[in-house]
Amino acid sequence: MDKASRLVEDEVYEPSASPSSWQILWREIKRDKLALASLIFLGIVVAAVYGVSLILDQKQIVTVDLFALYQPPSSKFWLGTDYGGRDVFGQLIIGTRNSLSIGIIVTVLTGVIGILAGLISGYFGGTVDNVAMRVVDFFMILPTLMIVIAFVAAVPKYSVVSFSLIMTAFLWMGIARLIRSKTLQERELEYVKASRTLGSSHLKIMFTQVLPNLSSIIIVTMTLNLAANIGLESGLSFLGFGFPESTPSLGTLVSYARNPQTLEFRWWIWLPASLLILVLMLSINNVGQALKRATDARQRRG
Amino acid sequence: MGRKLTPRMLLPLLLTFMIVLSACTSGKGNEGAQPPGPTNTQNQTEGENKPKEEGLYSIEDFSNVKTNEGEPIKGGSITYGLVSDTPFEGILNYNFSSGAPDAAVLGWFDESLLAWDKNYVFTNDGAATYEVSEDGRTFTFTIRDNVNWHDGKPVTAEDWEFAHEVITHKDYDGPRYGSDFTNIEGVLEYREGKADKISGIKVLSDKKLQITYIKSTPSLLTGSIWTYPLAKHIFGDMEIAKMSSSSAVREKPIGFGPFKVESIVPGESVVYTKNADYWRGEPNLDKVVLKVINPTTVVQQLKSGGVDLVDSFPIDQFPDNANMSNVEYLGVIDRAYTYIGFKLGKWDEENKVVAPDPNAKMADVNLRRAMWHAVDNDQVGKRFYHGLRWNATTLIPPSHPEFHDASNPGIAYDVEKANQILDEAGYKKNGEFRTKPDGSELVINFLSMTGGDIAEPLARYYVQSWNAIGLNVNLELVEFNTFYDRIGNNGKDDPNVDVYQGAWTVGIDVDPAGLYGRDALYNFSRYASEENDRLLAEGVSEKAFDVATRKAIYKEWQQFMIEEVPVFPTLYRSEIVPVNKRILNYAIGDGTGIYLYELAVTQDKPFVAE
Amino acid sequence: MWKTILRRLLIMIPQIILLSVLVFILAKSLPGDALTGMLDPSVDPSMLQEQREKLGLNNPWHIQYWDWITKAVQGDFGQSFRFKMPVMDLIGQRINNTIWLSLVTLVLTYLIAIPLGIISGRYHDTWGDRIITGYTYLGFAAPLFIFALLMLWIFGFHFQMFPTGGSVAPGLAPGTFDYMVSKIYHLLLPALSMALITTVSTVQYLRSEIIDIKQKDFVLLARAKGASESRVYTHHILRNSLLPIAAFFGFEITGLIGGTVFIEYIFSYPGMGQLFLNSILIRDFSVVTALVLLYGIASILGSLISDIILGIVDPRIRIK
Repeated sequence: MDKASRLVEDEVYEPSASPSSWQILWREIKRDKLALASLIFLGIVVAAVYGVSLILDQKQIVTVDLFALYQPPSSKFWLGTDYGGRDVFGQLIIGTRNSLSIGIIVTVLTGVIGILAGLISGYFGGTVDNVAMRVVDFFMILPTLMIVIAFVAAVPKYSVVSFSLIMTAFLWMGIARLIRSKTLQERELEYVKASRTLGSSHLKIMFTQVLPNLSSIIIVTMTLNLAANIGLESGLSFLGFGFPESTPSLGTLVSYARNPQTLEFRWWIWLPASLLILVLMLSINNVGQALKRATDARQRRG
Repeated sequence: MGRKLTPRMLLPLLLTFMIVLSACTSGKGNEGAQPPGPTNTQNQTEGENKPKEEGLYSIEDFSNVKTNEGEPIKGGSITYGLVSDTPFEGILNYNFSSGAPDAAVLGWFDESLLAWDKNYVFTNDGAATYEVSEDGRTFTFTIRDNVNWHDGKPVTAEDWEFAHEVITHKDYDGPRYGSDFTNIEGVLEYREGKADKISGIKVLSDKKLQITYIKSTPSLLTGSIWTYPLAKHIFGDMEIAKMSSSSAVREKPIGFGPFKVESIVPGESVVYTKNADYWRGEPNLDKVVLKVINPTTVVQQLKSGGVDLVDSFPIDQFPDNANMSNVEYLGVIDRAYTYIGFKLGKWDEENKVVAPDPNAKMADVNLRRAMWHAVDNDQVGKRFYHGLRWNATTLIPPSHPEFHDASNPGIAYDVEKANQILDEAGYKKNGEFRTKPDGSELVINFLSMTGGDIAEPLARYYVQSWNAIGLNVNLELVEFNTFYDRIGNNGKDDPNVDVYQGAWTVGIDVDPAGLYGRDALYNFSRYASEENDRLLAEGVSEKAFDVATRKAIYKEWQQFMIEEVPVFPTLYRSEIVPVNKRILNYAIGDGTGIYLYELAVTQDKPFVAE
Repeated sequence: MWKTILRRLLIMIPQIILLSVLVFILAKSLPGDALTGMLDPSVDPSMLQEQREKLGLNNPWHIQYWDWITKAVQGDFGQSFRFKMPVMDLIGQRINNTIWLSLVTLVLTYLIAIPLGIISGRYHDTWGDRIITGYTYLGFAAPLFIFALLMLWIFGFHFQMFPTGGSVAPGLAPGTFDYMVSKIYHLLLPALSMALITTVSTVQYLRSEIIDIKQKDFVLLARAKGASESRVYTHHILRNSLLPIAAFFGFEITGLIGGTVFIEYIFSYPGMGQLFLNSILIRDFSVVTALVLLYGIASILGSLISDIILGIVDPRIRIK
């Protein structure tokens, strides 16, 4: 599940020192047709999902209707209904929104923690770095999937919040390690030393000078992490250790396929969700890979 | 229903299917494979299982006995599917096992010494016979001379006594010790180490055993006697604490049933060969293979002839496969019901009794009755379960035809009536929801279990139904362990739970004291009243030995519970099991008089679906 | 080299201890315990209390931990409450299945990756390469569980080419030829499903590695000297690009751990992953703790192996 993040760590990055990395990345994306198409597709999905879920009557969607169980797709229910007589299309929209949201939340949270830990550890080095890296090492060797499952089972009042916190707690290390190694290189550079002699505070140097220089790597990593996180979430929900049962999610919709009757005769319940996960992850990966190639290429050139 | 009440456990992993974590299959669980069979007065209607209405079925259209077509061949072997998505535990001895899957494995090679009829009353048709003394307390059992263990040693009265000694010993780690045993004279002294032997148990001769019980109750005849011997020549020298993990339980289990265990792949499969020395006669089949099959693959396996028989079949897969050409479906009413419970008090740990609280949120019987009126269980059964579960009326299910009061209609679905009751009781509408009669806000917390496709929409349906009569109900879904923790499985009831949905598998004895008695921990609603105490006590009193009297008592009790509504039953259940058409002499349920040694096949290979 | 390995091994010890504490506390905080499932009115509740006392379930956690860890270092993880047998025996039954599954998956992974990677790298920018790259893109994005589910449905159910559950057909004696065949037959589909997904990163890596190396001076030189194209590939390019792949071996192990949980669940394959999920559900603490600990140790060893191989293959990469 975390192959995306793993690959990123394995790469050895050279420092990329342009403050306008957003623009550069955007230019690279525009050049890569596949990535551009993916990005546009993602934009449409996100807009549609969040937009439609505002209009949709959510209470209506989760309302059980005894007389409409397992309806095939029709003009009333575009994607039919599930075992509770609930509109699958509506659940797909809300499920996608939930899966995306948790993916984004976890990515941002892990990003913030990872960046902070990495920056501090790399910038100060020495004992701080040593301690931080031992902690990271420890988290890295944990069998993440098992521990997350055990935690999910252990939390007494289980909710979406606790779920995202649990995921965050075991997924921040990759980015921390990456940022640390970059910061280590970065702090040896002239501009940091110059800043220091000019009397800038450590905080200022870290956040206004080093951090912006790492932004393209951060964007690339977080994009790929987003895909990995959505994959992990849907996988956990599929196993029954993800979203609480009453919350629609893509993984939960797929898990209905564990019922062979559903798998064989009621494709409308699980297939759209499966395909959507596939396409979503493909698109996010496309964008991420394009960005990564762009940063790599720039390093080679530069 | 004193014994063997088990919570229906819905594993979250079982998305399509549910299993029973049968905490206790003690006396005579294990329909399916067990010889002393069937139950339930069902009219046998032949042929196709035709739905009355599109997609609807009724248990009354199923027979519990396989129709025999064709001539048996000599020998043959069959495959029996244990439908489960977990491996079986492999504690293969009735004296130690607890899980339902293990019971299905056990049923082929071991059996109870006493058989029972369709009303679950012990008969003299089994491996042992019994006589009761005048006062109903002393039982004398005689094991038939030709009853031998698989290794050829005779099953003796000493083995039977030994089983009692092991189970009541303080080092025993199995799930069997309980009121059945404390009712035997001298058990407490033995358990505390004050006596070497249980004074109430006497070995009269090799094959004769006498047990004296402290209290005589009609329950003794319906399952409260321990009827599974433990082979003393094998277990005699073992430490009691180590027995359940010994190879004589796990790897080379022994019994005296129609088949013997040849090999075991732990958790996955068992191969049995016939026990030519079986006391009823030499079995027809040469070999039986038992394998665990996942509920997701059961249909495929049945169609291809990969299995001939299964222990259970997921109901949600039935409608799509009702016309499977190579099987015949057998059906029986399950000894179980689903129910909604209302929290009416707490558990008093010190005195080990329930402590009803007159100020509990759900203490008003009008509120509880209105909530029963508000739910349409008839439609729930039809829509979610294709009619194979149906509206429940009383707390004694129709699996006990003698005691189930079929004339009692329960409380019908009637939203108007529900509203009227609440209006009259002073629950006034304040906006969308009603308030308490004193005008304060009324929020009801409903706890339900996750697991199974249907658990979540079903719980949500109930919430909707209660919303529809103006009650503000919060739903919380938790998994099995948390659920029972919070409704008070360990005596610490969560005060935030007002209403819950649970299920019980009921024992073969009808006595409900274990679930609704004042001193029952599992009386999760914490309801108690003197009238209830009286009825429950009368139901197991000496005068209740007269079946008509006992019936009258329980009829009264069923009505009383409908008036009090500490809990209300929602659904009764049926068990549907497909059987390959080549199988002869097979039945499910209790008291059929059809035994496994008679099982036969009409051809070498299973029929395959067209 | 030896010094760094030794240091790595020393670091492992506190890691494992910390892991064991974490795992233990976690298991203890799971709601309910192994006795929760035993609701039976004919069983005296005080008997359950006695059993809890006997099992030490009422002691403070640090005492329970000490009891557990002192035995664990001697290989005794206690008894499984549900299965009434020593945890190690229980795991022992399953670990073989999981190891076989992992091994076959690894073999298939490399069997798929190496030819695909070579074709893709050698003939890059051809149609063959594009198809392979397209596959790696898809495989990279496709979550394992969705892919495995589809494989099970298509090949297990629809075409009925493979068994759909279990690890071996019943009734075969262990050690016989039929038994082995049946075992392999049972794990082929699960392993293939996993391999087709895990292989893509290796294919991608191999491809870019080959493309990189074939521009290098020594390759150009060999070619200029008139070595045949196949000789250039076998002698120069492959040797150099396959070694780093070997280094990923350890990481593959770590990746497999998560994968087998899904695969065993979907294919009803009785291995450790399935045991883990079931044990969590039935609160069989002793099994859960032992399993997570074993998985943790496996991934520690995995990364150690990778680092060592990497250090041998490429001395520039020092073990930190």
